[in-house]
Order: sequence, then C-alpha cells, then structure tokens
Amino acid sequence: MFDTFLLESIINGILLGGVLALLALGLNLVFGVIDVVWICYAELVMIGMYTIWWLFVFYGLPLPVAIGAGIAVVALLGVLLHILVIQPVLGTAPINQLLVTGGVLFFLQAAATLVFGIEFRNLGVRMPVVEFGDMFFSFARILAFATALVGVLLLWLFLTRSYLGTAIRAISQDREIMPLMGVDPRRIYLITSAIGGGMAGVAASLLVLQYDVHPAIGLSFGPITFMVCVMGGLGNMLGGFVAAFVFAQFISVGGYFFQIEWGYVIAFAFFIAMMFIRPKGLFSR
Amino acid sequence: MVAHLTRRGLIGTAGALPFAGGALAQQREIKIGVIYDYTGPFAGGGSLAAAIGTKHAIEMINERGGVEGHRINAIFADAQSRTEVAINEATRLMEQERVDLLMGVFSSAHCVPLAQRVNAQRRFMWANVCVASSVFKDRNLEYVFRAQVHSDQFGEASCQFIADVSQERLRKRPADVRVAIIYEDGPYGAGVAAGNEAKARQLGMRIVLKEGYAATAPDLSSLVTKLRRERPDVILHTGYNPDITLFLRQSRELGLRWSALIGHGAGYGQIDRLKQTFGNDADYIFNVDPVAAQLLNPASLRPGLGDITAEMVRRYRAETNATEVPPHTSMGFNQTWIFLTDVLPRAIRNHGGFTPDALRQAALATDIPEGGTIQGYGVRFFPAGTPMAGQNERSSPVVMQYVGGETKIVWPAAIKTAEPVIPLPAGHAYAAR
Repeated sequence: MFDTFLLESIINGILLGGVLALLALGLNLVFGVIDVVWICYAELVMIGMYTIWWLFVFYGLPLPVAIGAGIAVVALLGVLLHILVIQPVLGTAPINQLLVTGGVLFFLQAAATLVFGIEFRNLGVRMPVVEFGDMFFSFARILAFATALVGVLLLWLFLTRSYLGTAIRAISQDREIMPLMGVDPRRIYLITSAIGGGMAGVAASLLVLQYDVHPAIGLSFGPITFMVCVMGGLGNMLGGFVAAFVFAQFISVGGYFFQIEWGYVIAFAFFIAMMFIRPKGLFSR
Repeated sequence: MVAHLTRRGLIGTAGALPFAGGALAQQREIKIGVIYDYTGPFAGGGSLAAAIGTKHAIEMINERGGVEGHRINAIFADAQSRTEVAINEATRLMEQERVDLLMGVFSSAHCVPLAQRVNAQRRFMWANVCVASSVFKDRNLEYVFRAQVHSDQFGEASCQFIADVSQERLRKRPADVRVAIIYEDGPYGAGVAAGNEAKARQLGMRIVLKEGYAATAPDLSSLVTKLRRERPDVILHTGYNPDITLFLRQSRELGLRWSALIGHGAGYGQIDRLKQTFGNDADYIFNVDPVAAQLLNPASLRPGLGDITAEMVRRYRAETNATEVPPHTSMGFNQTWIFLTDVLPRAIRNHGGFTPDALRQAALATDIPEGGTIQGYGVRFFPAGTPMAGQNERSSPVVMQYVGGETKIVWPAAIKTAEPVIPLPAGHAYAAR
C-alpha cells in the first residue's frame, strides 16, 4: 500500500536539505577561495537572525527591509572578520586559523547574550500551511529550498560568467601564481568574505522564519553544516549542495523508519564511513 | 561566573576583620554556592526565573537578620547550560570559594553527576529545581537533599489526570485513549517519560508512540509525521527550549492535531514566552509542574505564607516586568526558603552548626506538614537505606492549563481553580478536524 507519510518524510527531507545546502553554500565558498574554515559561521547566521528580529520587531521596519539590512550586516561582518581576524593569521598553521575563528564563535555568543539577553526571540510571523492531498509541508522550508536553488544558480553564474567570479575561481585554484598575473588576492578575499557573509545573511533570513533566535542557536546548526561541507568536499560548492540533501534524507527518512535519534545516528555513521572511503569528501576536487 | 561579592571585595572584607572588634558577631556568615544556568538555552527555559526566586529568598532572609545571627553570603555561579561547566563551577565553589554548601541546579543533566560528586566528597547539596528521579533512585545519597517534586511524579500526574477526565471529556475509557510520549533524551525527559509509560500502562492506556530526541535537534518533522500517522488523542511532551517551540511550530505547519497536549515543566512552564511566540495557539496547553505559589489559596497554607508569596511575586515582577510569574520562580524561592527557615536554623540550634553532617541530620529530621510551604506540599525526606534516600516523600505536582494567557489549576480536584478545557475547542489551530 502506498505510504503517504513516507512520501511526506522524503519531501520534508528534501526541504530540510535546502536549509542545510543554504547554510553550506557560504562556508564552502570561503574555504574554497581563502582556505580558511569559519568555525563561527553559524554564529554569523545567529547575528543575522538577531539583526532581522531587532529591525522588524523592535524598530517596526517592513520585513523585506529588515531582511535586506540583515544580509548587509552579516556581509559586512564577513569583511570585518577577514580584516580583523583572518588576515593576521593567513599563512600561519591552519590550527591558528581554526582557533581564532573558534574564539570569534564564543565572542559572538557572549556578545549576543549581553546585548539581547537569554530570551528566545521570534518574529511572530505565522507562515501559511501548505497542504497537498493528505500531506503537509512547511512554507518557510519551501521558501528556503527555492532560495537555496536560486542561490546556487546565481553563485554559479557569478563565478563562471563574470570577470570577478573568474578571478575568484582562479585564486582558489592557485593562490601563488595569480598575484603574478595581476590579480590582487586581498581584494578577492574581501569580496569572497562579503559574499560568504551575505550567504550567511540569506540563510539567517530564512531560518528566522522557522526558528526562535537565541545566543546558542548556532549549536543546532554549526556541527551539521560542517559535516555537510566536509562530506561534500570542503570548498566544493556542488559537493556541499548534494551532500546536504543526502544528509537530510538520512535524518528525515531514517527518523521516519526508526527513532528520530536513529536518523542522526545513521547520518553520522554514513559520514564516518565516507571519511574512511573518501577522506576528501564525496565530491573532492 | 556571576559573583555576588567580587574577589577584591572579599579580600577587603577579610583585611578589615581584625579591626572589626565588637561588630564581629553580626558579621558571621554562611557561604552558599548557588548554581544555575544564567546563559545558554536553559536560562530562558526556566533557570533564570528559578535563580531570581532563589536570590530573592536569600535577600529576604538577610533583610530579616539572616539565619540564627548568620548572614547568608550567596556566591552565584553560571553553569552556562553545560554539564562540564556546572561540575567545574561546583568544584571551584567548594575548593576555592570554600562554600559551606551548594544549592540550586536547574538541569537534571547537571544534577545527576553533581549530586554523585558532592556526595562522594561528603559535602552538602540542596537541589532546588532539577527533577529527574535518577538523581536519587538507588544511589543511597547521604548529603544531597531535594524537596522538589521528582520526575516519576510528573509522569504519573499527567496520566492520572487524563484517566480522571477521559470518560467525561473525551467520551473514552482510559483504556481507549491513544497516548503518545515524546521527550528530550536527557535524564529529565527520559525520567518523566519513564514515569509516563509506567503509569499509562498501569492505567491500561494505549501508548501509540514513545520517542526521545536531542533537545538541540534542528528538525523534528519526521517525529511530527509519525505522530500524525499514529493519531494520538493525548501527547505527553517533556522538553526544554527551543525544542518545545520547534515542536509546536512544526506541528502546526505539518498538520498535527490533538485533543490535549500536556507538557511537563521546563519550557512549558514559561507561559509568557509561549504566549509571545504562539499567541492564542498557546491557549489550552496543559503543564504539569509544582504549582506556581501565587495560584494557591493562601487560606489553605500555614498562616503567613500567603504574605511571603505576595512578596516573592512583587519582587519578581519588579525585577523582570513579567506579567505571569512562572512556576520556576516558586521552585527556586520555595526550596531556598524551606532550607533557610527550617533546615538551616535547626542545624545551627540542635546540631552545632552548619557542617555537612549537621545539615544532614537537620534535613533528615525535617517534618513539614502539607500546607507548610508556599507551594502547598509538605516536606519529609526518605531516610538513608531507602531507594529514594534524600528525596522529599511529601512533594506533589499539579496539572495547570493556560486559558486566555492565564494559568489555571485543573488537577487535583481538591485545589483546582478551573475546569479543564479538553478536547481543544473547534477552531483552535491544533484542534482535531
């Protein structure tokens, strides 16, 4: 007999994959170009969520304006992160880069606690319910899924069809040679950081429609986002995009057939197995 | 760390002691290390409300001259919603700050290892808020005491309530009621869920789903889908925040309906926040908890306790601007008040001071009848050698329901302030169609 609940779980897994793919996009871009892992990436998303909440609820700005401002703020944060934190340790041991961005993670968590308190904040926006047959889907998730698709497409067009995008790809392929050919890597790094931050802002604008924001929300998404990126091959945007959907299906369908915890266990077991089989990720370059 | 007195202040005080002379008698103090989660997800889930209750109880006692001539010097520590931090802070308080006892602790996940560790060191701990029965069950703790309700009682109360009203309200015998049990998978959620399951089976209810999840899980949609498939009449949920808000939000989006949703404390004890997030959709949610003291009729309590409750409420509102005072405030305040007005004075008077052994003997001699605390229940601890040694055997929870943004007591019948609204009224976002 046809199981509509299973079909619903599969589709919800695809929609969850959209959320994870969106989160992975910016992180992969930054790693692919600058070769630095922003451990504090989920905390940048958190700052974006707070910014949108603050402007929409506290200042009463229209939601699209608040979202636009939120994306801009996180893009700017990405630039500041690069100038103030990453740039001084570029060229040093990778562990230093991990540690400084890890420090920023705790700094942002503590700063958010001091500024916004420990309350759980939300926009208070009720999203419509999408009902199809006997199945139900989250409108916010559909929105996130569509945005992830559009985001990947736009990023791909930018990277392949524009001069700047070509320069970014060139730097990511050989950061020693390109400066000799007239490309200013510092400028490329700043632009990449701004785009990476902007992508975190886009993710924030969609997560804030689905989740309460609080200083520790990064704990819910940070580890999974990294696992998705590593599974797809750190720096490989297409790999991360596909890995997000694979990971989400394990969580959703695994959680449907077994206990919900088992969905995560299966996903993590698959991740560990893949690290043995393909240590550089499913789609390593 | 949130220190009430700064290190410099302490050093300054110590330096001034030789010159204090006759004033020394008034400066005797008892150092209490108070551990709560002031940051992290547990803070907004009730820990901060409980911490404020504890702080106000200590302030009120000090304003009244302290305990048997001793000023209470509370040193507050932030567990940051992390077990390892809670343990480190407890160690710091005991070994560096040299506190006389530990108090507080919101999360059962912190409470279980802390209680073991403190007891092994033969130090004294007074647990205020954590509820897991596993803190005490079969551990034979000697220096850890808890007047608070325990998780088995939470689990039993919700099932007994449903059994009591099912025929009249749901037109079903208890044996025909379809029950789903969902819970965060820490000691707190698992403990309450075990109590739910045992009582539901005893009452012959049909458990259609029992499932745990991590409180930090970013997605509960497959759990919601399974719940829709199993069509429970009643969902028994134990969680913190933000998992509760995620569950409620995804349930609405994914079309989950029920006749009754019964929460068991923590995030469900925060009606102001639920109302703020879900508006009228938060109406008619049930919550099992030790009662918020201000909901009780003061005439049913020992004379004078009504005034203390009123002062607790006044101070909480003045500090937080909240309209509703959550049960956690009462828990933090009540447990502290019981200790400072009953156990500690007896330890000093009858057992020679406030050493761990003196406090232990005083705690074991506690005998507060029903109506003797602001939350209504009495206090008498299970003695050493019994399976729940250290746990209050007279504690009891109530079932509350949120109606129009206000909290009503609906069970037990003897103290209820309103009739339960069950099943959900037609037109409610979660009402079965």
